[in-house]
Amino acid sequence: MKRFFAIIESPLTRAFLVGFIVLSFQTTLFNTLRPFSVVMQVMLLCSAASGVAAGSESGAIAGFMFGFMYDMVLTSPFGLSALVFGFAGYMAGGVNTFAYSPRWWFKMLSIGISSAAAVLIYPAASLVVGVDGLLQARVLGVALTVGLFNAALALPAVFIMRWALVKSKKQMLWAE
Amino acid sequence: MYSFTRRRLIVVLLLTSVLLLTLDRSNSGLVGGVKDAFGVVFRPVERFANVVSRPLSNVWRGVLDYSDMRKENLALKDLLVKQEGAAIAATASVREAQELLALNGLPTLAGIDSVTAQVVGQSPSNFTQTFELNRGKSSGIRVGMTVTNGAGLVGKITGVTLERSVVMLATDPEYAMSVKVGACTRPNTTTTAVPQTTTTLVSDGSTSPVTNVLPTTTTTSTTSTTSTTTTVLQRATTTTIKGFTPFATTLPPVPGGGGVTQITVPETGVLLPRETGAMEGQGIDRLPVIRFIQTSSRLGELCEGVPVVTAGGSQSLAPADLVVGTVSRVVTRTGTSGPLLEVELAANLQSLNFVRVLLYQPATEIPQ
Repeated sequence: MKRFFAIIESPLTRAFLVGFIVLSFQTTLFNTLRPFSVVMQVMLLCSAASGVAAGSESGAIAGFMFGFMYDMVLTSPFGLSALVFGFAGYMAGGVNTFAYSPRWWFKMLSIGISSAAAVLIYPAASLVVGVDGLLQARVLGVALTVGLFNAALALPAVFIMRWALVKSKKQMLWAE
Repeated sequence: MYSFTRRRLIVVLLLTSVLLLTLDRSNSGLVGGVKDAFGVVFRPVERFANVVSRPLSNVWRGVLDYSDMRKENLALKDLLVKQEGAAIAATASVREAQELLALNGLPTLAGIDSVTAQVVGQSPSNFTQTFELNRGKSSGIRVGMTVTNGAGLVGKITGVTLERSVVMLATDPEYAMSVKVGACTRPNTTTTAVPQTTTTLVSDGSTSPVTNVLPTTTTTSTTSTTSTTTTVLQRATTTTIKGFTPFATTLPPVPGGGGVTQITVPETGVLLPRETGAMEGQGIDRLPVIRFIQTSSRLGELCEGVPVVTAGGSQSLAPADLVVGTVSRVVTRTGTSGPLLEVELAANLQSLNFVRVLLYQPATEIPQ
């Protein structure tokens, strides 16, 4: 029983549950709200927020998991979102370490930049695996919108991901 | 500086992604199975989230889309009035065409079973263009089947679970379909009073029992030298082939002769040759294009507004003559690449609600 609770309380399980709930809102609510005809990417937001909340490595693992879950509901190449979201988590964590003691606006900046970068990388990665036609000028607008939106929601997302991933220093998803 | 464990983590994640991509691209059943299982667990959660978030979605739509919706509603009412009359005439024509095809033992769209399904979801991605339907394997839907609505082609099924299926829209960059496109058309039919016993003078002086049919008007003149009634074409046509008269319809000899019979003859524009090309989606906000059309003297001139229909064939996933849309732009290209045609789809893919899945599989796709 003790072991069961340990598993339930582990950062990986928490992150999975958060991802599961966020995914359900991604495919319903955020699929409807389309500012400038762009779908808001809350799964990507959570991936980047994981990096800021718990560091590059945790961000990479959590991002990979969120991307993997996202791939389950997409028809795009399986594993592509996992790869790109993992990168976004890693990058957000990496950018955040540039500041000695990152302020709130720097966290927003890290998440915005890494989200936009992930949106730009996605069609390029698709091209590599043989899906042609996604790399268009429109991607720049999508990246900008997603980046701004994710930056705007960065702080609550970081708070949630910190709750999920950083229980204590020892029980982090990826202990340094 | 990267530690060994850091590097190992990145390598492991990268390799896992590559493995997943490889499995997916090699059409492994494993990926489909995992997705199906995830769908079973995820669907109730999604339904709950939908109920919770619906008020917010409605507020968003109400605030942003209300004025557009009003304008669209008025425009649609006008359009509906215009279309009602045309639809009745079109239905009669379609029925006639189907009867003729059935009479000649040719396949028709009316003979294909279909399933009506409702669109229940949309892709949350900014890159793929897919919709989710509330019908799946249990209704007979299989991967590859064609999806239409009242207006025309919508897309094809790319994923099926027991109760759900995913439709890739015709505008998706991964979508491709073999289509037919005709040359510029002229007015549809000419009803003309045709004398039953007429003869046409051909170049070598011999006569044949044929009557010429004109595109729009008929001019009758009598040549005094041969004492025959000849129908003269508006355009100059000459022939040196014995027994051949361009644009001619042969009438069966009627015993007794005499009198005038009313016949409706398809106008030549309808019978113009059609060229086959490959239609490919170009992504969101861009029209699909048709490639591999060659300008030839046989096809004639390509112009905007000509209808585009599916080509069909033994290996095509869609049956023949399904309405796709009209050519909206002809892009002339130099060299041997041939022209590029942009297609305005007949179906409005922005506002899909109910669609029809044709339970049609080409012979090559049906398991033996």
